[in-house]
Amino acid sequence: MSACQKAARPLTQCLRISQASSQSSRTIRLFTSSSRLSEEAVTETASFTPTPIYDPETVTSSKEERKLMRTGVYPIGSRRRRAAIKTSENIPFEQLPYQCFQEARKILQADREEKLALIAKERLRISNLVATDSATINGGQKVKDVRLDSMRRHLEYLKIQADINDPLIKKRFEDGQGDMTKPIYRYLADRKWREYQRKIIVQRIEQLGIVPDVLPFFEPTAEVRLAFRQKNVQPGEFVDSRISEVPPRLKVQVFDKGERLVTIVVIDSDVPLIEKDDFGSRCHYLAANIPLSPAETSLPLSKATEAQVIHPWLPAFTQKGSPYHRYSVFVLQQEPGKILDTASLKEQIKRDGFSLRRFVDKCKVTPIGMNIFRSIWDEGTAGVMERAGIEGADIEFKRKKVVALKPKQKARGWEARHASDKYKSLRR
Amino acid sequence: MLLPRLQPPLRAAIASIARSAPSVQSTACLNEAFAALALKPLVFVRHASHAQQGAVNKAKDGPGKRLGAKKSGEQYVIPGNIIFRQRGTHWFPGDNCAMGRDHTIYATESGYVKYYKDPERHPKRQYIGVVFKRDQVLPLPRNSHRRRRLNMVAVKMEVPEVAEGGEVAVSGVTLEGGEGEGRKEVKVKKAKARKGEEGRDLKLRPGYMYRESNWEIGRAAERAGVKVKPFKPRDRWTAWKKREVRFAKNAEKRSLGRKIGGK
Repeated sequence: MSACQKAARPLTQCLRISQASSQSSRTIRLFTSSSRLSEEAVTETASFTPTPIYDPETVTSSKEERKLMRTGVYPIGSRRRRAAIKTSENIPFEQLPYQCFQEARKILQADREEKLALIAKERLRISNLVATDSATINGGQKVKDVRLDSMRRHLEYLKIQADINDPLIKKRFEDGQGDMTKPIYRYLADRKWREYQRKIIVQRIEQLGIVPDVLPFFEPTAEVRLAFRQKNVQPGEFVDSRISEVPPRLKVQVFDKGERLVTIVVIDSDVPLIEKDDFGSRCHYLAANIPLSPAETSLPLSKATEAQVIHPWLPAFTQKGSPYHRYSVFVLQQEPGKILDTASLKEQIKRDGFSLRRFVDKCKVTPIGMNIFRSIWDEGTAGVMERAGIEGADIEFKRKKVVALKPKQKARGWEARHASDKYKSLRR
Repeated sequence: MLLPRLQPPLRAAIASIARSAPSVQSTACLNEAFAALALKPLVFVRHASHAQQGAVNKAKDGPGKRLGAKKSGEQYVIPGNIIFRQRGTHWFPGDNCAMGRDHTIYATESGYVKYYKDPERHPKRQYIGVVFKRDQVLPLPRNSHRRRRLNMVAVKMEVPEVAEGGEVAVSGVTLEGGEGEGRKEVKVKKAKARKGEEGRDLKLRPGYMYRESNWEIGRAAERAGVKVKPFKPRDRWTAWKKREVRFAKNAEKRSLGRKIGGK
């Protein structure tokens, strides 16, 4: 029995009677809007159900959790919370009988009504302004556009303000059930991202020198998460060559509304060039015209179609002795309505010597998010290079000897001083 | 303390005069002597400063520490060359330079020294950097890519040759240490392991000693299959038996010693 079940035992004993009585009379209302399916099965059919369906809100034992996770649904919240929901009266949160809480809720609801009224008013104003002729406005079309823009921004602000105080919205967001097509959940997700994960990415960008080397300046506005098969990759983590042999899966979360087309680039910025005594860059993956929206976050790179892929996935490899290679995965947003011609880009853009600055300028895309991993030589690199048909697995890099500025020290000792012909007679 | 300057020779002379001539002439002589003494009064001396005062309040100035620039601007340096010695940070390390624990600025790349200011990095600080080309200007333009040098040579890796035809007899001796490349399988004559030393894996350690690891030594008993009867706390009979055996052995040892020693 799990610890939380042990903790909930006195409560269970207390409520067993009430539960037993209620089971027969009515189904227990949970925090979820729908009633418990497993209970329904018990009350409706007398026979034993062969495949019990687990509710993500009330699974408590690890066995049940694992079975639920295998179906693709994840349990919500902590196990302690789920045990509490299972064993308590399950009064819906908004109906909790605390006077102060209910009074506060009334105030918040009144405030929400006010905000909704303001939203309606603002919408009306916007529609009126759109309808008016720009010639009648003092300043013309430009002033009209500026005014419309600021009014629309204010409208977005009001939409957030109407919902930000709602505890159920907060709860739904924290349970991962927020609908990203709604602005409030996008706002909450953006805030959460900026609190921690974005700071990590910005730190990695600065530490690993991505900004001056790959792009002149970059501010992330979308969350990009990287995983190879089942293994999640922390930003800047060293990934084994055998793991990065397959194309990764991206989870990109944008925080502004609307669907857009993105381009994904994976660039290696530390390719050693012996002749130039410098480092070059190489493109390991390039795909364009990939649709992305706040609700659909999953982008497996292996599932990109032939029409979208410009350069297919090249496994990450680092030759022995070379310093670590940085692999940056960039998500670039294309201009609204613009579709890149992948066929022509396939001829024009080469893998070696790929410059992201030039690509961004040419195709007029804006970088919105990035992630990064590193790679060094390990036991599997030779095999990976062989399977991918890359030459150079047997090359090792050794440091060049630095010539000292000091003159070589003269030989010391009696023998050295008497080595010339003058002392031939003294020689042995 | 003011000490009177003593004139011992004069005093001694007066004393001897007084002893030798106790007549009226002596008193006259004595009077003369004392008059001479009075003419030359006792001198009490006081100097401006004491030795202690001088040592404590001396102006502090020790030997010079040879601080300052050791390499001038546009001078060629190699990694490790000290460029500037300082107390505190008059100069900060810039590109391809680092700072030691006593704020010494030294080069980490071969190149040419540059002294410069970078207001975008810090409004007041001044930096020392190393560039790869003599005419390159520091600070670099805003948001431009970093200049880097590979400083490496590509060498073909040696593939280890495996002896063809037959097994390579590698028994308890294995060659260890060094890089993986260039490792050759050496044909070692299979030395027959002595009884009780089967399964010993002697490796070549630094100092040209063939040795097995300490943990392997510790498990020698396990390998040999040594069986030890578990200790039973309240089994006095086994304890007595063991004690008797021990006493007998000790007695034999003592008698043996007496036989040889007391010869």
